[in-house]
Amino acid sequence: MALLDVQNLSIGYQTAEGLLQAVEGVSFCLQAGQSLGLVGESGCGKTTIGMALMGLLPSNGSITEGHVLLNGQDLRTMDEDALRKVRWKDVAMIFQAAMNALNPVIRVGDQMIEAIVAHQPQVSKDEARRQVEGLYQLVGMPVERIDDFPHQYSGGMKQRAIIAMALANKPKLIIADEPTTALDVIVQDQILQETKNLQRELNLGIIFISHDISIVAEVCQSIGVMYAGQLVEIGTSEQVFYEPRHPYTQALVASFPTLAGERKELKPIPGEPPHLIGKIMGCRFCDRCPRSESQCKLDRPLWQEVDAGHHVLCDHC
Amino acid sequence: MAKADAPILELDRVTKRYFTRGNIFGHGKREVLALNAVSLQINPGEIFGLVGESGSGKTTAGRLIVGLEKPDSGKILLQGREIGNLKGKDFRLYRRHVQMVFQDPYQSFNPQVSIMDSVGEPLLTQGLAKGVERLEKVLAALKNAGLSPAESYAYRFPHQLSGGQRQRVAIARAMIVEPSLLVADEPTSMLDASYSAQIFDLLLGVRDRLGTTVLFITHSLASARYLCDRVAVIYRGNLMEIGPAYEVINNPQHPYTQALLDATPKFGRCGDIPRHGTLLKAERPSTSPGVGCAFFRRCQPARRSLCAVQAPAWRQMGEGHVCACHFAQTGEPDTPSGEECRLGI
Repeated sequence: MALLDVQNLSIGYQTAEGLLQAVEGVSFCLQAGQSLGLVGESGCGKTTIGMALMGLLPSNGSITEGHVLLNGQDLRTMDEDALRKVRWKDVAMIFQAAMNALNPVIRVGDQMIEAIVAHQPQVSKDEARRQVEGLYQLVGMPVERIDDFPHQYSGGMKQRAIIAMALANKPKLIIADEPTTALDVIVQDQILQETKNLQRELNLGIIFISHDISIVAEVCQSIGVMYAGQLVEIGTSEQVFYEPRHPYTQALVASFPTLAGERKELKPIPGEPPHLIGKIMGCRFCDRCPRSESQCKLDRPLWQEVDAGHHVLCDHC
Repeated sequence: MAKADAPILELDRVTKRYFTRGNIFGHGKREVLALNAVSLQINPGEIFGLVGESGSGKTTAGRLIVGLEKPDSGKILLQGREIGNLKGKDFRLYRRHVQMVFQDPYQSFNPQVSIMDSVGEPLLTQGLAKGVERLEKVLAALKNAGLSPAESYAYRFPHQLSGGQRQRVAIARAMIVEPSLLVADEPTSMLDASYSAQIFDLLLGVRDRLGTTVLFITHSLASARYLCDRVAVIYRGNLMEIGPAYEVINNPQHPYTQALLDATPKFGRCGDIPRHGTLLKAERPSTSPGVGCAFFRRCQPARRSLCAVQAPAWRQMGEGHVCACHFAQTGEPDTPSGEECRLGI
């Protein structure tokens, strides 16, 4: 049984202008100990998926279709109490702005102890503190900094503390949403390498969400590319980055400079993604697609398997 | 690009210090050397990249150059004229010649002022155009920044635009007074990669069309590699390496530049690109600030007897390529094999 099985997931937000279909028909599967990267531009729905996996959609958002099975249990059928037990214990999330996720007036170690005791009432405070010390060592932080306040930490240390806190209740699945955006490259590199090591040591499943494909490529074994609420290409990291097949993935890859060789012109993608309110006929990328044909505007594209395990949502690939 | 004899902008041993506040009794006040005797020249019509991490002093350099702050010592010269003594009318004229684009497109606009008035404001303050003429100039500037039809953007408000569009408006606002130097401080760090590429192309277009010199301040070696003719790498207020962008990034000589390149996320066919491994895992104990090499504490090849006590002098590495390291050696470039390897921006 897969650790996480997302089937035909659609998520909508009620807005003043009508229903905004932020995610439509997304399916993927994650085995225990595997990592999947979700990449796409801002507004493509990747964070919405992360929030839905945690059962943390805002009040105007809801799953309109599909299922999220975590260890075979459907999150959609759970009530708030059941969700609260799953959240942080089975699945934990590392949020985007780590600096703001810590309470500034409580010592960092105490916040972690609280997180452990809240979910494992049988654990004593002393035992929880010993666990926190272990977590500090795990993420490469000096144990003597446990009793510091968040403002005494650097940005990288706060991010490590957040990772440690996510690991506190030994979840099997971690959702990391742009965990390194605010960090410098050197610190970012250290955190990414550590995340990879932790994943291997603890056999964690990771969903890694980012707009930056280079970061996802550093960490993840498989990659899903999202555009305007849909998954458009999914495969192993090598398949997607060596041989991108969907025109959007190709354009996205081409907007990053190469290390060596002639300075090739970057090819920015012209135009903007479509508005997601109301029904969209046909392919969502067709207005910006160099390969689009008149038919693309009308027909919904179908999934094609272009290589073993490498799928593309495009009729012309 | 024609290389003129005189640099358009020159920094001559520019030093800037800040003091941390300390506690309410004034204890724990610390001096931070934001820029330590930084000297560099920028040639007319080039795109010059200043690359560094947060806290490296790169933004301070930008603020000094546009005249938002004054250096503690050293001189900044624009077209041979020192800017420290400019007052009144002269200073206003200087402000016209040197424009800035800020990092955060969500905070660099007044939310209650329309795009038309935001972009047209420099024309009023500089007394360059009003009325219909101003309107026409604003529309032309928006169009040149890739916002067309310009009329449909002019009467919108900042919250009605995306981040990428706002950054285009910021560039239109800076370019409307036809500056000779544009300082762009991390203009794409808040944008997605595909939009960053659009802004890069816009800046390249501005330089190619109007010959505007651009100082591009960034944390990203990759975007410097794409956009810049020459780059300088800065670490804790000290310049480490200066040279042609291609040279510095394909054949970095300073251990710090090498560490930066190691840490830059990469994807594609990057398998056989070796890491330099010049970054120390654990920091060495501190030396007194301003003594020795700024990178000593984190540098793998450093030697205490030399690097902790003696600041390295510039050494010539190649044509226009200099490096401030005692151990840097001119050598054959490690045959780069990264044509299919892409860098994260």
